[in-house]
Amino acid sequence: MIRFVLRRGLAAIPIGLIVTLGVFALVFAMPGDPLREMAGDKPIPAAVLAAKRAQFHLDQPFIVQYLLSMKDILTGNFGTTFAGADIADQLRLRIPVTLKLTLLANAVQWTLGLFFGIYAGFKRNGLIDRSLLLVTLVLLAVPGLVAYFAAQYVFGVELKWFPVSGVLEGFPRSYLLPALVIGLLGFAGLARLMRTSIVETVNADFVKTARAKGLGEQRVLWRHILPNALLPVVTFIGIDLAGMFGGAIITESIFNLPGLGQFMFQAIKLKEGGVVVLLSTLAFVSFIVINLLVDILYGLLDPRVRNV
Amino acid sequence: MTGVLGATLGLALVLGACGDGSSSGDGSGTGGAKSATIAIAADPLEYINPLNENGSPGIQIAMAMWAPLVTTDPNTGKTVNVLAESVTPDRTSQTWTVKLKPGHTFQNGQPLTAKDYVDSWNLTAQGSTAWDNNGFFSKVEGYEALNPPTPEGATPKPTSVKTLSGLKLVDELTFTVKLKVPFSQFGLTLQYLGLAPLPEEVRKNPDAYKRKPIGNGPYKLAADWNPGDDIKLAKWDGYKGPNPPEADALTYRFIPNADTAYNEFLAGTVDFVDVPSTKIKTFKTDAPDQWVTAESSGANYLVIPAWDQRFKNPKLRHAFSMAIDRKAYGDLVGLATPANGLIAPDINGYRADACKYCTFDATKAKQLLQEAGGFSGPVNINYNTSSATGQIFAEAIGNMLRQNLGLEVKYTGKQGSEIGELADTRKLDGLRFSGWGHDYPSIEDYLTPMFKSTGDANFSGYSNPALDQVLAKGDSEPDPDKAIKLYQEAEDIALEDMPLIPLIHKQNAYLHSAKIEPRVSKYTGVSALYATFK
Repeated sequence: MIRFVLRRGLAAIPIGLIVTLGVFALVFAMPGDPLREMAGDKPIPAAVLAAKRAQFHLDQPFIVQYLLSMKDILTGNFGTTFAGADIADQLRLRIPVTLKLTLLANAVQWTLGLFFGIYAGFKRNGLIDRSLLLVTLVLLAVPGLVAYFAAQYVFGVELKWFPVSGVLEGFPRSYLLPALVIGLLGFAGLARLMRTSIVETVNADFVKTARAKGLGEQRVLWRHILPNALLPVVTFIGIDLAGMFGGAIITESIFNLPGLGQFMFQAIKLKEGGVVVLLSTLAFVSFIVINLLVDILYGLLDPRVRNV
Repeated sequence: MTGVLGATLGLALVLGACGDGSSSGDGSGTGGAKSATIAIAADPLEYINPLNENGSPGIQIAMAMWAPLVTTDPNTGKTVNVLAESVTPDRTSQTWTVKLKPGHTFQNGQPLTAKDYVDSWNLTAQGSTAWDNNGFFSKVEGYEALNPPTPEGATPKPTSVKTLSGLKLVDELTFTVKLKVPFSQFGLTLQYLGLAPLPEEVRKNPDAYKRKPIGNGPYKLAADWNPGDDIKLAKWDGYKGPNPPEADALTYRFIPNADTAYNEFLAGTVDFVDVPSTKIKTFKTDAPDQWVTAESSGANYLVIPAWDQRFKNPKLRHAFSMAIDRKAYGDLVGLATPANGLIAPDINGYRADACKYCTFDATKAKQLLQEAGGFSGPVNINYNTSSATGQIFAEAIGNMLRQNLGLEVKYTGKQGSEIGELADTRKLDGLRFSGWGHDYPSIEDYLTPMFKSTGDANFSGYSNPALDQVLAKGDSEPDPDKAIKLYQEAEDIALEDMPLIPLIHKQNAYLHSAKIEPRVSKYTGVSALYATFK
């Protein structure tokens, strides 16, 4: 087990380098000049421009900028953004916000997704199953951007059930609306996957065998059907969580939640390579850790993969 | 970020055509007797330092926390003293004497002296300090010594010279500013809040005071201001200057997404918000009786590249101008009026009939195009991709040129900064959009930056010695009315040469809650800071 974790950790290092270098190259290749972009139409004196370029290493060649950024990340010396924000402060402020949002959204998504998916899978073609198919079809068709603004307007502005934006009302009130919308949009795919998986497993030969051996219905369900039906769903966790960060960029911007997603949005807007790489590294490390946990969980569910 | 204008038309003051009736509704942001919450649709500020701010959000905060030397009277449009006892030019308008009123202090109790101004300005004029308002001091004698040209890729080093030779202390409350060349409008420029002084303890270590600013104006920080917090201001009772605003407490809430800020207003959590461009068509029904509109102080132009020989003939530029239906274009943009000159309508010296070639006349336009010998190849129109409407507006102009002049048109979308960079290096192909709002309310602030050969916002690469000469005459004319006449002469030359085609003057719209009535002035625009409470 220890060896497995170590091996995975070591394998992540070269991938991490390639990912960060790639992200940095993408930001570097983006058109426009961040310092000019910040100034808008007002001219900047040459001396000031030169001083700011030097301050943020923008006058260095690409690879030097990348190495300096990586050095800053690895030594924990994050410095400031172009706008003068202390990056370490920002992280302290923003990581909890994104965590709260993601955890709440996931709680919504997994509770609903598993419950309805499993129920619909066992009671095939019943009322719940039919309505679930219809509802999830609608949800999958709604673009996130539309759903976020519509929810904000209906439940925040018109009905006043939730705050419109910001985190002034604290946890969970400020996070409920965005988390519900993200959770519901994500629930659709999960519920459908779960249902299909249950249906396939219920009709599998090993389940028939178990029943033929005279095992009780409860034992068949808990020892045979669910562990096997959950396998594809567990794989889905890893992929889904990776997508969460991408979603947070849009959600946090619309709901004005000062999380990592909003920070990423600002950084991309201003071509702040250092910040984008820092946040990508954070996302990458979390992704590696989550996937490691998923694989361990997989091993618990499925003895076949334990020694792979 | 706004579209064409960029975020930094900070001081684009606005002129009011008030459309406000009796208020109803329940919008009310905060409790308290006279407190208001003002939404700012921008990323939160990371520091408060007026000398390092030339964007609208930073200057808005500076207006509350600092007082200017002089200001524009909202009722008369005249320049009046605030902290200054007097601002006096010499006979040539080259050396200016600023005398402060006695008895003013900073919020830390230190008396406000002439030395505070001189030292703060010297610090800002030093290129290696890299503060945003450095460029303001380029008119002052000795600027070059503090801003030596830096070779590409080198780090600017602090110069051995630390002071502008043109700034001289006379006594405790008096200092003189000697300019490189005569400049009759200098007195007006002193109302800019980006010139506000910092007290000595802050000047010694600006970084330590990034989030603990010490102002000298009507409001001070009411609470610790940590990253992510709203900026909460309380009335400072030490302010002895004229006309303090009415509010006892102000909260500035930063909401980067403008549509979200607008929704916050509709939900009743903020008292004042700018109407984003996406809501121009609906705001009057969304918040009946709670909106005001004001003529924006500025103008939008179409820029013709002087480095492209195909556009060389002025008749061709006049043809382009007369092929544009400004009324239709303004309706498309929404809340905009056709421009008929290069100056904003609220500026002293504006003439409604300045432009001879800005009326829509397709027949005349075709004829002028013929006289100019036609145009070879497609006209390329560059637009800013970071603005949601950039492409739509570019295509509107392009369609007019195609239909009314029979030209072939193509479009190129790029980031605003990229367009700027290409134009600066004279490599940009074709037309681009630009906008301008003044930093100080003078007709000169429209002509010098955009049309003087060395103007720092001369986007078109235009250069005409005749115009430069007339501007210099205006700059050295001490009599204000005569100076304006000279500047109008310069505007006529620029309109005849037409390196920039005037398009529209945009209006700004704002929503306000029932409890406040924003100040609306023909000269200084809409101000939430100076709102009256009901």
